[in-house]
Order: sequence, then structure tokens, then C-alpha cells
Amino acid sequence: MGRFVIRRLIGMVVVMFAVSVLTFLIFNVIPNGAPEDRMAGRNSTPVQIAAIREEWGFDKPLYTQYLTTMKKVLDGDLISYANQTNVIEEIKRGLPRTLALAIGAALIWFSLGVALGLYTAIRAGRWTDTLVTVLALIGVSMPVFWLGALATYYLGFKAGIFPNGGYSEIGEAGLWEWVKHMILPWCVLATLFIGVYSRVLRSNVLDTINDDYVRTARAKGLTERRVMIHHVLRNSLIPIVTLWGLDFGAVLSGGAILTESVFDLQGVGQYFADSIDQLDVPPVLAVTLFGAFFIVLLNTLVDIVYAALDPRIRLS
Amino acid sequence: MSRTFRGLACLSLACLAPLGLAACGGDDKKSAATPSGGTSSSSTGSTGGRITSATTSFPDFLDPALSYTQEGWQALWTVYTPLLTYNHAAGAAGATIVPGLAEAMPDISADGRTYKLKLRSGLKYSDGKAVKASDFEHTIKRVLNLESGGASFYSGIVGAEKYIKDGKAKADIPGIVPDDATGDITINLVDPDGRFPYILAMDFAAIVPSDTPFENQTKNPPPGVGPYKFENVQINRGYDLVKVPSFNVPGQQVGKLDTIEVEIVKNRRRQTQDTIQNKLDYMNDPPAPDQLRDVRAQYTDKRYKEFVTNSTYYFFLNHRVAPFDKPEVRQAVNYAIDKRSLARLFGGLLEPDCNFLPPGMKGYQKIEPCPWGDPTAAPNVARAKELVKQAGVAGQSVTVYGNDEPEAKSLAQYLSDVLNDIGFKAKPRIVEASVSFATLGNQKTKAQAGFANWFQDFPHPANFFFLVDGKTIQPTNNQNFGNVDDPKLNAVLDKANQNADIDAVADDYAQADKLTVGGAHVAAYGHRKLTVFYSERMDFENCTVWHPVYNLDFTNLCLKKQ
Amino acid sequence: MSIADSSIASELSPVAPGGQVEGESAPGLSAWALALRRLRRNKAALIFGALFVVLVALALAAPLWAQVADTTPARNHISDTIVVNGKSEQVVTLEGVPIGPTWQRKFFLGADSNGRDVAVRLLYGARNSLFIGLTATIITTLLAVVLGLLAGYFRGWTDAFISRGLDIAWAFPPTLLGVALGVSFALGGLKVGPLRISGDSLWIPTLVIGAIGVVYLARPVRGQVLSLREKEFVEAARAQGAGSLRIMFGELLPNVASTVLVFFPLLVANAILNEAALSFLGAGVQAPSPSWGTMLADGVLLLSTAPHLTIVPGLMLALTVLALNVFGDGVRDALDPRAKVRLER
Repeated sequence: MGRFVIRRLIGMVVVMFAVSVLTFLIFNVIPNGAPEDRMAGRNSTPVQIAAIREEWGFDKPLYTQYLTTMKKVLDGDLISYANQTNVIEEIKRGLPRTLALAIGAALIWFSLGVALGLYTAIRAGRWTDTLVTVLALIGVSMPVFWLGALATYYLGFKAGIFPNGGYSEIGEAGLWEWVKHMILPWCVLATLFIGVYSRVLRSNVLDTINDDYVRTARAKGLTERRVMIHHVLRNSLIPIVTLWGLDFGAVLSGGAILTESVFDLQGVGQYFADSIDQLDVPPVLAVTLFGAFFIVLLNTLVDIVYAALDPRIRLS
Repeated sequence: MSRTFRGLACLSLACLAPLGLAACGGDDKKSAATPSGGTSSSSTGSTGGRITSATTSFPDFLDPALSYTQEGWQALWTVYTPLLTYNHAAGAAGATIVPGLAEAMPDISADGRTYKLKLRSGLKYSDGKAVKASDFEHTIKRVLNLESGGASFYSGIVGAEKYIKDGKAKADIPGIVPDDATGDITINLVDPDGRFPYILAMDFAAIVPSDTPFENQTKNPPPGVGPYKFENVQINRGYDLVKVPSFNVPGQQVGKLDTIEVEIVKNRRRQTQDTIQNKLDYMNDPPAPDQLRDVRAQYTDKRYKEFVTNSTYYFFLNHRVAPFDKPEVRQAVNYAIDKRSLARLFGGLLEPDCNFLPPGMKGYQKIEPCPWGDPTAAPNVARAKELVKQAGVAGQSVTVYGNDEPEAKSLAQYLSDVLNDIGFKAKPRIVEASVSFATLGNQKTKAQAGFANWFQDFPHPANFFFLVDGKTIQPTNNQNFGNVDDPKLNAVLDKANQNADIDAVADDYAQADKLTVGGAHVAAYGHRKLTVFYSERMDFENCTVWHPVYNLDFTNLCLKKQ
Repeated sequence: MSIADSSIASELSPVAPGGQVEGESAPGLSAWALALRRLRRNKAALIFGALFVVLVALALAAPLWAQVADTTPARNHISDTIVVNGKSEQVVTLEGVPIGPTWQRKFFLGADSNGRDVAVRLLYGARNSLFIGLTATIITTLLAVVLGLLAGYFRGWTDAFISRGLDIAWAFPPTLLGVALGVSFALGGLKVGPLRISGDSLWIPTLVIGAIGVVYLARPVRGQVLSLREKEFVEAARAQGAGSLRIMFGELLPNVASTVLVFFPLLVANAILNEAALSFLGAGVQAPSPSWGTMLADGVLLLSTAPHLTIVPGLMLALTVLALNVFGDGVRDALDPRAKVRLER
């Protein structure tokens, strides 16, 4: 097991390195125009452009440039050229908000998804199954920003139940305000996943229900409930947990960009969207690296957990 | 300055008139402003209290030497005072220059090259330090040394060019002679410049202590002499304006509110909704487009009001590139654009107008009848099509330039649609805003037509007409995008710019306006309106002062008497 | 983005050997015919499948409607007036508020803030969105299948190379990458060797969405090829002297393809949603070309005065995606009934 973990961690480092190189290339080489123009962003002056060219060494070979950039990132010294703010500081500020959104929504969609999946599996074939399936499908089909815009307008402004968007710091206005601001974003983001998860769980459960070992358990005289929970559910959950890890990583790494933008939460995703709008490359670079880190981290964790649960994987 | 509604800074070198223009003469009359001086404060309204306000973007800089946007100036005006400043009033009174930290209006020599001012005695910064005459020279040095967007306004001072070239921050500028003992300040210009009093009143010249570093101080703005001071500055989040109780300069308005908290809220819709629900006291930006109708309907003259700014929105038409080198074609464009449609594209926040000069400027005389048709009526598209056919340019392709700010984009699209209607093959080309001025200002681009706008830097018509003055054309960093070079217009402008007395030349500028519009040198369509929208707590009646240069005067804001 | 993709990955289970679809074989009926029969019994899938066909037909009929309404998707009528129910109304009021649905020939579904006909734009937008969704999915499928085949069949260095590549691609946050690439290419166009694509071409979002989806499909395909290549029928083909190419494209491909095709409708649904997301953020279809995403982006700005601008494109988008999802579900159930419960216990 230990060797497996170590192999995975090394793999993680290698992948992160490759990602950083690729990100660097994409943002500096592929788009047209001189990189220093791009870096300088909107409010650039010729003096700034020349200064950037010198500082980042754009006239030097690519690998030197790469090293300079990475050093800036790791030193926490990366400055946005659009407004002279420290990119890493901005990310640190946005991170708790993105985390709050991701974790809250993830917990909601996991629990509701599993519950609904189980329910529809048990009631498979009946009209409640169909109804919930249809609702789940509808949830998956709606664009999240559409739902968010409608929700924040009708439930927020018109009905006055929820605030008009924005994020409330717990330290500033208390826990209840924070929750009030987060409920709509949580629900909107979760709607998307609940549908998927309930259906996946449903199909997994229905698969396992007919497996031989379940029949054996039943034949042994175990109660239906015990059978469901100990055998069926446990086995059906493994792929769900895997999925959950991957999706959580995706959401955390910027997949919530739309929800954040619509609700104006000023998280990391929105920071990215605003920066790309201004063609401000340092934040875009940094957020992409940060996002990749989370994806890789969660992937690796999921792999490790999966391997711990299923010994066959370790040996492959 | 040119302004977009993200509050972007005008690019430093790209947006200024070249040095050649600064040859505006003076004669032995006193400076252009009538020395009405005196107090400009409205003493109505309560004092004290704290309000919250929001704006969509953080000012480009909170450093007086560098800021070149409306948001920046609006805040800086309350914190820093130059030697000369404006009355805190609306309309013509507000456009009048009065002494600020100087005792009186400047003594201008007969040849217009020497300005003598005297610093008031006993002045103290908000941190208690005393103000010295040499602080003024330091202030100007920062503007030049930091390559500020406003640097070229001051390059007409003797020795300024050399100072910039040498690049040594601590070097002396021979043209500024301060005497700390007496408080006298003498400024020598290379050439007389009728705009110089206005240039002295710009925030670039707002006095800061001599120990202010030669670096952008936005994170930690220096102390100034003004009714408010900055506190809690967090870039991209907000800042606070806190009243300075010790501020007491004769003739200068003191602040009413104790604190104004400014927060950056990028989402205009949220700002509007919060203001409607009284969760926010003041929003700096116009209400979001989908709330505008309701806000207008319910709150006009109670909590909401619109004001026409001194700005001009127009399409430039390049005189040096086909097809707009032919006057008939330019006329066709003027006939074809529908100013009512354009007003709709602004959600009604545009005042359609025939004139190039904005209505608030001296020298504005409404051009009636408009040679291109009533701005509030349907355009004459048939005539436009005729002219295009006559000129033999039908079917030519035209690229309409715009930048990727939302307004500019839809306006470039609009012009393309219009050109297509009258017989061209037009397409918009959207350029990144950061490079759009450099692109359009470069003759090599050969941009045929595109979106342009201009907000005044100071209330002098020359600040608008340099955009169509043949003398200001340059190969790069050109601001006269259309390369307008009309000898008659140039002559009128030459004559008017020499004279420091605005009232005397108001008619000349009106004439210049007629020539610009009548000659179809641009396709101007109107002036931007900005708004004031408050919560219920604010005293709308007594404390709303819309300044011609600084828009809403923060110093005059107050709460309703309880 | 690509959330459903990960669920697809988990559901992509190997299909029985021989490229055949599972199911009880009734005498005289091939497995495919059996699948069709199962599909026909699935009412919901049929209804939604028909709905999708109707939507596609509407999209294709866009120019017809444009003629009926006598306008184009780009033409603005911002200062026009029209007669509705006998009253003369402005298409866009002086305050920039556009008219709502008139249920007449012109401005059937109202106008947008530029005075353009929403119904016409909706249909042209449908064309664009559907084109992008379908083409991007085709690109994804082709690339993923080829990569999966190569990696799974040849193993060794080829596999290591491709798999590492996929790992790295997987690590890129898909939404961020899509937005960044979309914005960059939209501004500067795509120049690869002799190939020049202008920034406002539909191919930019198509390629971006197509490329990003590859990694989510390539891995499961590879996994399937890995297990399939050990089966007897592959050995048999080799024994018969078939070369690698023949085995890959003759034997393995049909198997893989049938599994992948099962997910095709779902992949298209996802691609359409992705396009809407990208366009909403300004990184997809560029103005003035219509697409559901750009219409939604414009619409939310006027939510309180002109809700139809948000509700109409959103509904159409949701319906299309829903139709594809339900139909796709039905296709999958028909071809792979192991996934569905056998009611006959």
C-alpha cells in the first residue's frame, strides 16, 4: 500500500510540472500578439511594456521565461498587471468563498443524490421512480447560470427572501447572514449534480441487487434492511464516492465559475473570469495552476482510497 | 479624457495633446476665470453621519499625480486641493476657477509666460504637517517623473522637458521657483498657454508633502489638504473617506458627512437592487439597464436624477482613407445615423444632439436647424443612399473599429449595420481596449471609421476641439482619429486658442462647432448622461450638487435631517 | 462542465464479445432488432426523441421564419414601431426596454435590446448551438476512439505516452481551459500553419469544446480496448493473419463504437450545455452571431423589464438538452438492458 501511495504522489508531482509547462506555453505562446502586451493587460503604457519585457525576460529563451514565472508563483510574488494587486493574495481571499460554495453544495448533492438514488432504486418501476427520474433529468438539463439568474432575481430581489447575491463574511455579519447568502448558490449548484448522482446510484444499486452474493445474503436469512445497507449500498457507493471526489475537485478548481459569477461571490472562479475578461495573464495562470493542483490532488486521493478498498487495483 | 464604464484610465501618452498645441497665448488680462473666488459651499443640509456607497470599479489610482479617470478625480478632489480649484457648485459657477491653496488668482505677466502665486499661510495637511511652497514643485516633479497620464499638461513649464529626459527624480525644475519663507511660487512657461489656470486646477497638481515617494501611492495615499482623507484603502475592495475636522481653508467648502464608505461592487444590478431596498446609500454608476425604467418611474426627483455630462460621443471618419476621404460620403453617414436608436442603445442615458461641443461648455450654441436632420426625428436614409451612389463608392468594404467594452462594441456594430444599409459592405472589428488607442492612433492602421468618445479634462472648449484640429495630427499616438484637417476650422481654432479670455472667444468656438458638424468631419450623436441614485436616508433636495468637472460632489452629500 | 462525462466513464462497461448487444435472443431476431423493439416500447424516449427531431427541424427552418418575419438575425429595428392589437408600439422604448412577445409574424417572441427579432435569433441560434454541439461531439468521439484504440491495443510505449498525455490533460480544469482558450482565440483567431480561422468563426468554440471533451472519453475507451484485446475473437483474427490495423479497425472498433454510440446523445447534450456556458461568459460564440448562450447573456441583463429574453432561450436550451438526455437514456437502456432492472423478478 505504501509503495502505491508513493508512486501516486510522485505521479502527482510529475503531472503538476507538466501542467505548469503547458499552461505557461498556452498563455504565452499560442495567442497572437506579444506576450508583454498580453501581460500588461489593459492599462498598459509603453514604459510598463518595456519593463515587463525586461523583468520577465521575454527576449530570453522560453525555458528562462518559464523559470522566472514559476519562481514568481512559488514565491507568492506574482503581481497582476491590471491593477498591481498580488495575485496569490487575491486567490487566498477568494479561496474560502469557493471552498464554502463547493463544500456546501457537495454535501447537499451527495446526500440528496444518494437518498434519491436509493429511493428510486427501491421503488424501481413505480411512478415515483419515474417522477424523480424526470425531475433529476430536468435538473441536469438546465443551464446552471440560467437557474441561478432566475433564482436570484425572483427569490432574491422580487420576493426579498434571499439577499441580492454577494458573499457575507462570517466574521463580519455572523453565521446566519453567511448561510442566507449561500443557500441559493448551494442549491443551484447542487441541482446539477443531484440528478446525475441519483441516477448513477440507482443504476448501481439495481445492478448489485441482482448479484449473486446479494441473493446469497438473502438466502442466508439476513433482513432486507441489512442486505440493502451492508451489501448493496456499500458496493454501490464505491463508484459514487469516486465520482464525488472527481466532481468535487472539478468544482473546486473553477467549475463553479458560472455560479460564482451569477451570484457575485467573488471566489476564485469569478476572479478567473474577471481576469480573463481583462486579458490579465498572471491571475489566469495562477488560478489554472491552482485548479490543476486540486484536481490532481483529489484524483490521487480518490485513487488511494479506491486502492485501499479494492486490493486488485493496487497490484495493477 | 476618454472614459469607458469600467473606469479605465486614459493611456498616459496616447491620450494627450502633443506639445505643439500648448501654444495658447495669453495677453495682459488676468487669467481666464473671473476672480469670483469666495465661498461656494451650500450651507444647507445636515452635517454628520456615515453612508455606504458603491461603484463598479476601483479608481485607476488613488494617487493624485497619476489618476486620470472620473472615479479617481471624484474621490481625490475631496482629499487634495491644488493651488487653484473649482467652486463646489453646479453649472457655470462650478466651472469657475477660484483660489484653492493659493491666496488669490495668479498674477499673469503681460506675455502670458509667468504666473505668480502665493501659498496661503498656516496650511496643514491632514496629518498635521505644515504645507510649504516647495511642496508644489515636488508635486509637479512626481507627475513628470512617474510618467503620469497628465504629464504633458505640465511639460510646457520651463525645464520640464529636460527634467523628464534626464529622469532624475530629485533634479530641479528651473521653471518653478518656490520660496518657502514667503510662500511665493513663480511658474515660468516656455510659451503662453491660455489653458494653464485650468491645468493648475487639475488634480495632478494637487499638493502633496515633499516626502511623498516617487512611486504609485495608491496602497497608502499621502496626506492632503482637503475636507476628507482616505482610510482603509484596500485595492479592488474599497476605501473610506473620513472627514478632516481640522480642515479650514477660507473659501473652501468643508465636508458634511463624517464618513463615506466606498465599496467596489462589480455587479451593477446588485448595486441597484441594494439601493432600491435602502441597503446601500448611494450608487455611483447608472442603474442597471433592466432597473432603469422602474427607477426612473418611481424615484425621479425623489431619490434619482440624471445629468448631462460634458462629453461627446461620436464616430470618427478617416479623411485620409477611402471612402471617407470624400465629403459626400461623410455627409451620407451623418444623414443615416439615427440618434434616437443610439439613445436607446444607451438605455436613454444619452442626450442626442447635433453639436459636437457638449451643452455645458462655454461656446455651446445649439445648431438649429441641424444640417443632418432633427436629432430627435427619423434620419434621412434615402439621401444617404443617394450620396453614396453619387460618390461612386457603393459596395466598398469598410471596417468599423470598436473596443471590447460593451458599449463600444454595440456602437461599432450599429455603425456597421447603418453602413450596410446605405450601400457598403461593413464589418465591425473589435480591438482589445488596452491597445485600441494605440491602434487607432497609429496612421499605419488606416482605420476607416470607428467608435470614439471624449469626456472633458477641464471646462475649456479647446479640450474638445483638439480632437479635430489639423495641428494635432501625429503619426503615432494620434488623438485626431479622423485626421480632420480643415483649414477654415484650423484658423478659427488657432485664433481662439490664443486668447485666455474664454468669454471673448465663446463665439469663435461656437463657429468651430458649426464648422465641425457642418463639414461632416465626424458623426457626432450626443452626450452621455450620468445619474445620481440614493437611498431614502440621503437628503436629495439640499445636498445634491452636480459639478461640471467632478460629477457628484461628495463634499456636499448629507443625510436627511432626522 | 463535463459532469455527466464522469458518470459516463463509470457506466462505460465492457460489452459482450462479438460486438453484439446483450439480451435474450428470441428466435429469428437479431440483437439490433431486439434493441429497436425495446426502444420502441420506451414511450418517454420516443416522445423526447421526436421532440428533438422537431427542434432540429425548427432550427433548419430558420431562414423560412426569417422570411416570414421579414428580417435577419442581425438586423436591428431599434427605432421602429409596429402595430400590436391595433395599437402602435415601439419595438424598443426610449429607455432601451424591448417589446415582449407579440405573437404576430413580426417579433413573434418579442425583441431584444438591439431591436432584433427574438424568434428569428432563437432559431438561428439553435442552428449554431446544435451545429457546435454535434460537431464538437463528433470531434471528441473520433479523437477519443482513435486515441483509445491506439493506446489500448499497442500498449507499451504508445500507451504510456498517450496515457500520460491524458493524465495531464485531465488535470487541466476544463471550464477554465475552455474559457481561456475561447477568449484567446476569439480575439486573435487561430493560426496553425496554413490553417487560419477567424476569431468569430463558429469553429473556434467547436474545436475548443471538442478538444476538451476528448480526455473524458479516451480513458474509458482505452480501458475497454485493453480488456477486449484479450478476448478470443481477437486471437482468432490474429491467427487468421490479420494485421494490427485490421484488428483495430475491423474487430475492436465496432465493439467500441457501439458502446460509445450509446452515449452519443448524452455527449451532445453536454456539449450544447458547454457551448451555452462558454458563450455566456463571452468565450464561445461571438456577437453578433446568435446562440442560446449569448442570448442568455444579453437576457439576464434585462431580467426585470424583459424577462422573455431570459426565459425563452433558457427554456429552449433546457428542452433540447432534456430531449437528448431522455432519448439518450432510452437508447442506452435499449442497447444495454443490464443497466435497467428486470421487472420480471
